[in-house]
Amino acid sequence: MTTELKPDPSVIGGVPVAPFALLPEPERLFAKRAARFAFLAQSSNLAPYLSFLGDLTQVQARLVPDLPPPALPDAARIEVARAARMPPIDRQAAIADPVLHETLDRLCAAAAAIDMPAPARQALEAVSLAPREDRDWLLGNVLTDTIPADSVAPHLFAAAAAQVHMARIAATLDVAQLVPIRTGICPCCGGRAATSSVIGLKELENVRYAACATCATQWNEVRIKCLCCGSTKGLSYRSAETAKATVKAETCDECQSWVKIFYTLTNPAIEPIADDVGSLGLDLMMKETAYRRGGFDPYLTGY
Amino acid sequence: MNIDLSRRGFLKLAGAGVAATSLGAMGFDAAEAAEAAHVRAFKLATTTETRNICTYCSVACGIIMYSKGDLKAGEHAELIHIEGDADHPTNRGTLCPKGSALKDFVKSETRATQPRYRAAHSSEWQEITWDAAFDKMARALKDDRDQNFIEKNEKGQTVNRWLTTGFLAASGSTNETGWLTYKTVRSMGILAFDNQARV
Repeated sequence: MTTELKPDPSVIGGVPVAPFALLPEPERLFAKRAARFAFLAQSSNLAPYLSFLGDLTQVQARLVPDLPPPALPDAARIEVARAARMPPIDRQAAIADPVLHETLDRLCAAAAAIDMPAPARQALEAVSLAPREDRDWLLGNVLTDTIPADSVAPHLFAAAAAQVHMARIAATLDVAQLVPIRTGICPCCGGRAATSSVIGLKELENVRYAACATCATQWNEVRIKCLCCGSTKGLSYRSAETAKATVKAETCDECQSWVKIFYTLTNPAIEPIADDVGSLGLDLMMKETAYRRGGFDPYLTGY
Repeated sequence: MNIDLSRRGFLKLAGAGVAATSLGAMGFDAAEAAEAAHVRAFKLATTTETRNICTYCSVACGIIMYSKGDLKAGEHAELIHIEGDADHPTNRGTLCPKGSALKDFVKSETRATQPRYRAAHSSEWQEITWDAAFDKMARALKDDRDQNFIEKNEKGQTVNRWLTTGFLAASGSTNETGWLTYKTVRSMGILAFDNQARV
């Protein structure tokens, strides 16, 4: 008896294609982020802020399993969004979702137990007591990625609630149904990226994923490309002292902005949001240059 | 700023009203100041990441070349690392052993950086200018073509062939360079011509 041999060139090399997006698993995401905040707080000048955010993120993680299910985009909406190259999650609809308001309620109640400075507590109490109209305003600003410079503190709590809500919705989506929208824009919720990371995925190394500041989806972006304007010209990388840094500022001469990039391959513990705050020193250094910060992070407003 | 009444009340309750950073607004000013003092001693270093194509063969793998130093700021830029370009459809970040050693190829002490000439019967290489090299090549080509060019075949048909010289072009060249090479070489009548575009 003879066995029929068929050539299978696919086994040679076998380098996988980078998945377009990595969806968040909310409980794990916030738990991991909280742990990273706590770790960074051990050896940083920013320890008080990092510990506070660690505790707040812990609250986010604890909220996830008990919250009622959020309003999800239906199949028709996802299809329309796909066809028009729009994100499946409707942020405008999310502002009106009672579950988001419930999330904010529970977050404020649980956050009250966290140790925090007086200005933070004052903002938290104001958000807790705020009537629906003011909460709509807060959540509306957060979900359009615009935080008014004169009321950063109350928006921080609103953003933390929005992160929980949006990550829970994003977690239910199907990666195969997502389409690229525009450079630097989240394919799930249409939000702006906070940072991007050069990561390793099993057999795949050195691929870049941008992290959504709101729903925490990570999506594949071509490297050496400005996340603000999509330019591939005039990019360079700034880092503190050494060229071998694991966090750099990707600067773009075309639009004069910069976005943080982490080399997670060199340090797998890096978390896109926790380390964004942890590397505030780079923001402070970049503030002295002509470039403006392009990454959106409600925990780092004003840099 | 146009703020309606209810919001003004809210902002007052929230202690808001002055433009501030997240750390300032939340009451972590001291931490922010400590970090600012800490980084004051540091200087920003610049790295450039440049996309290119591996020079070795016609597979034309994508590579990313890292260099240290800002050319635009008048600094010297030094190549520090080369890796496969994970975004490149041909190699998806992988490189063969030769490609992986590209940095050593660039930094090699024995790398030919200018034209050299070894005269007949000599064992010594001598460095010559590009102009001298081009003149020498043109002279050799012209002499050979004048001597061996075939204008007509035995039937008297015009063929314009030059069979005694061949041309080997670079595999790493672009399509456009390939087109130019073809036009240049073929218009002289050379038939033995290869762009090495078939691995």
